[in-house]
Amino acid sequence: MSEQFEPKITAFVCNWCTYAGADLTGTSRIKYQPNVRVLRVPCTGRIDFMLIMKAFERGADGVMISGCHPNDCHYTSGNYHARRRWMVFRDLMDFMGIDTERVTFSWVSAAEGAKWGALVNEVTDKIRALGPNTEQKQLVGLGVE
Amino acid sequence: MSRIGVFTCHCGENIAGTVDCPKVAELTRQIPGVVHSVDYKYMCSDPGQTLIKEAIKEHKLDGVVVAACSPRMHEPTFRKAAAEAGVNPYLCEMANLREHCSWVHEKNEATTQKAADLVRIMVEKVKHDTPLTPIKVPVTKTALVVGGGIAGIQTALDIANAGHQVVLVEKSPSIGGHMSQLSETFPTLDCSQCILTPRMVEAAQHPNIKLMTYSEVEKVDGFIGNFKVTVRKKAKKVDEKACTGCGLCVTKCPNKKIPDEFNEGLAFRPAIYVPFPQAVPNKPTIDTANCTYFKNGKCGVCSKVCPTGAIRYDQEDELITMDIGAIVMATGFKLMQTDKFPEYGYGKYKDVIDGMQFERLASASGPTAGVIKRPSDGKEPETVVFIACSGSRDRAKGVPYCSKICCMYTAKHTMLYKHKVHHGQAYVFYMDIRSAGKDYDEFVRRAIEEDEAKYIRGRVSRIYEEDGKLIVKGADTLMNGEPVEIKADMVVLATAVQSQDRSEDLAQTLHISYDKYGFFAEAHPKLRPVETNTAGIFLAGACQAPRDIPETVAQGSAAGAKVAALFSQDELTREPIVAVVNRQAPPLFSTCTGCFLCQTACPYQAIEQEEIKDRSGRVIKTVAKVNPGLCQGCGTCVAFCRTKAIDLAGFSNEQLFAELMTL
Amino acid sequence: MESLKQKAKELLEAGEIKAVLGYARGTSDTRRPHVAMSALEVDKLVADQACTTNLANLLMKHEIKHLGKLAVVASRPSTLRSLLQLTAEHQVADGAILALVPAEGGVKQLGTAQAFEEHLALVPQKKTEKDQALLDRLKAMPRAERFAFWQKEFSRCMKCYACRNSCPMCYCERCTMDCNRPQWVPVPSHAVGNQEYHLVRAMHLAGRCVECGECGRACPVGIPVHLLTFFAEDSVRAQFGQGGGASATIDNALSTFRPDDKETFIR
Repeated sequence: MSEQFEPKITAFVCNWCTYAGADLTGTSRIKYQPNVRVLRVPCTGRIDFMLIMKAFERGADGVMISGCHPNDCHYTSGNYHARRRWMVFRDLMDFMGIDTERVTFSWVSAAEGAKWGALVNEVTDKIRALGPNTEQKQLVGLGVE
Repeated sequence: MSRIGVFTCHCGENIAGTVDCPKVAELTRQIPGVVHSVDYKYMCSDPGQTLIKEAIKEHKLDGVVVAACSPRMHEPTFRKAAAEAGVNPYLCEMANLREHCSWVHEKNEATTQKAADLVRIMVEKVKHDTPLTPIKVPVTKTALVVGGGIAGIQTALDIANAGHQVVLVEKSPSIGGHMSQLSETFPTLDCSQCILTPRMVEAAQHPNIKLMTYSEVEKVDGFIGNFKVTVRKKAKKVDEKACTGCGLCVTKCPNKKIPDEFNEGLAFRPAIYVPFPQAVPNKPTIDTANCTYFKNGKCGVCSKVCPTGAIRYDQEDELITMDIGAIVMATGFKLMQTDKFPEYGYGKYKDVIDGMQFERLASASGPTAGVIKRPSDGKEPETVVFIACSGSRDRAKGVPYCSKICCMYTAKHTMLYKHKVHHGQAYVFYMDIRSAGKDYDEFVRRAIEEDEAKYIRGRVSRIYEEDGKLIVKGADTLMNGEPVEIKADMVVLATAVQSQDRSEDLAQTLHISYDKYGFFAEAHPKLRPVETNTAGIFLAGACQAPRDIPETVAQGSAAGAKVAALFSQDELTREPIVAVVNRQAPPLFSTCTGCFLCQTACPYQAIEQEEIKDRSGRVIKTVAKVNPGLCQGCGTCVAFCRTKAIDLAGFSNEQLFAELMTL
Repeated sequence: MESLKQKAKELLEAGEIKAVLGYARGTSDTRRPHVAMSALEVDKLVADQACTTNLANLLMKHEIKHLGKLAVVASRPSTLRSLLQLTAEHQVADGAILALVPAEGGVKQLGTAQAFEEHLALVPQKKTEKDQALLDRLKAMPRAERFAFWQKEFSRCMKCYACRNSCPMCYCERCTMDCNRPQWVPVPSHAVGNQEYHLVRAMHLAGRCVECGECGRACPVGIPVHLLTFFAEDSVRAQFGQGGGASATIDNALSTFRPDDKETFIR
């Protein structure tokens, strides 16, 4: 393959902050790379760790998870609960040898359109440099036969 | 098999400029379940919406994906259109091709591919959408207003005048709040009592207002339109019905040496007292902590002299539970305490007082009948130093914010002083003069120009006593920080406005949020200033942040209008995006195991326990149940539930899973 | 030992309990759980170092639950820790189960969660040297090597769910693994499904694991699955200060939060 590797990036974002922030990236016409696919959930609290796990199973090379900054949650505390869950989940992924470099957690507010654009670009470049998520893809390859 | 229609919008050139819209329509037509896929210049236009509606009918569509702008922009538009054509609005979803795709990417194949992917995601979501109906909740048309200051009074009157019932709860024996203590008010210098007292009486006599003084909110359950509130009616030890308010007990009470709260400790009151002459209700309360009878069982003078036998030493606190539809918090503020200012000798020198004490000295109904006399020896002070920002905007004192009212009331104080002590001289130490507001800056100018207050821009470092004078040492920053020393007869500190004691506890009782200074948090600082994050609970006045009287009244009326709008409907309609705990056939009944760890995860206390019983009433299983009136649909419980017993309508496990499987 | 039997008989006779859940001699030199409902059956009870099963697991089984009031032999602290966690999760009512703890010169009878907590304060839980050594070795490995280690281990997993079934905290009547709408984790025991299963199991036990190690002992192919939940528990304790099985009253670490929880990875 002479072509540049184009990573597949799945993003889970909350409706009130990051989704709105990504809308602002659009209205501000800030350009970023088209590799990311955004799934909208009401709150980061809704993001089941199993979704992150399944994203890798579906061949994601990178996963982004983003929501409201602490203290700004539309539902007052969903993001705090999510944060605790991620703190343990990330530790556990690492302990099982799953590459946590491929998962990016962030707080992007509805006003941070520029941050979202920059972050998507940064993550896309980083995952492109890391290359395909071969470890996880091989598991699937073995699995589905 | 679903019959889904995909409608791709060009949004003029906004989408079509970078995304190949006909190609998106063509690609998405191949998705299983999609029976109709077209592109059009402006989907949100009338012809565009008609095109969708007609397609729904013609192709018998049971689901719609509109690939256009952000759902945050036009989801209601297209859901309404779908509903008009007979498709449940929650079976209409939007793929965000504009903000998330065409506007942020270059024109190329990858962008069009992404657009098609975004549509694919939503097609899968629609396949797993279930028809939802908005939730209807009944509304109890009685409001609870907590706090009987000007904020609470205004709110209560506005709601009552709109024809609704109001319960006004005040923790002290009389309504009136801080405003009743003020002498005159800026920027008009009209007498505070004169404008407030008629409002107090109006509130007390209003047929729609039930006044509960000397009462506090104990417990709040339920949700918007359906709160259950328990109020503790503290025992006044006086039968309000029997008491005529003659005041004989007050005059005869032998224990008259109790510092008077209303006069900020500048005078004394008896153990059975009416806080101030214009109090509403004008009936006495026994201060049991200071009453001789309650201390050692002796005395009983009040009981002996009462002509109607209204004294009830055995009266107990009462807990009263009420059905309430909306709550307005109007609990006000407090001033920073004396122990915070050792450098100014506040609390140590009798003639260093705070702004509220000065109000009492200047008030015609105050301890000096409005004659300015200093507390130590009753002499008329000839030089008075006012210190603005005493505590405010001072990180070291834990108050980085501006208390907002001090600049104005300090200017007012200098005027009141000058009007009463013609030969006196007022000095004001200040950081900045913040006098934005109608006629406010003119007012400050008048204090400086007509009433000759000397304003010194700088901080006071120390105050000490010397030869019966208070030596105020400071610096004038407009004179290159030159040291200033003033021999004053009295010093008035404009102490910081702070949240009420135990405001955090109260906020937790009501499940509303508060900031790190204990002020209650509004739902949105600009667009929802009088609402809290808890539906049905509103804010008025200084419990939210430092406020002056005009702002407080405006906010009180705003909160009143919000409540009136809420009460204008018999039922509330809510988005059906709520969590649901599943029910299954016996013997499982529900996959919920009843661990109730979700209860602490819920930000809204929406998760209750439900007992599943057999025919004989024996409990088979206790499981979680989500109260749809309280649930706001965040889904935190859903992600937390190990057995997937809870699911979120509109963002269900199946939907998210299906969306993910397209990638 | 004799005092345990004596106590059990007394309790049964007095009608305070309906049965004693303890250990009896199994085939060869093994020990197996034993339910004693009469003096005769009580005589079969044994209590020694070979009794390793966490009996709390059985308390959640339908057959045992319906026997009536029980006393359980809690020779292992993890049994008491399980009881505390089950009480916190509303699975066991506080005071509903008596714990008989063989102690020096007799037997200690504990009836409430508070008594369990007080007793546990005297016997701190510690990982075995072997477990600790492997845990340390794994933590020291480069990530890719750790990935390879677990993949090699998981390759033997046949999804018999022995680890799940032996766990006192895996009491759900319908496990997520058996959920098919959606089918979160594939049923067959292939690489991706195995990894997912063990990840889910560890996450579901984070903040709840009582560290009895029963799952690891139950595994027929010897995968050290208990290290996953041990690790999760260490992570929870290190970050939030409270782990599973410590108390019947403290809220679960993962269903609560502190606004000042400290993390280093969120952008």
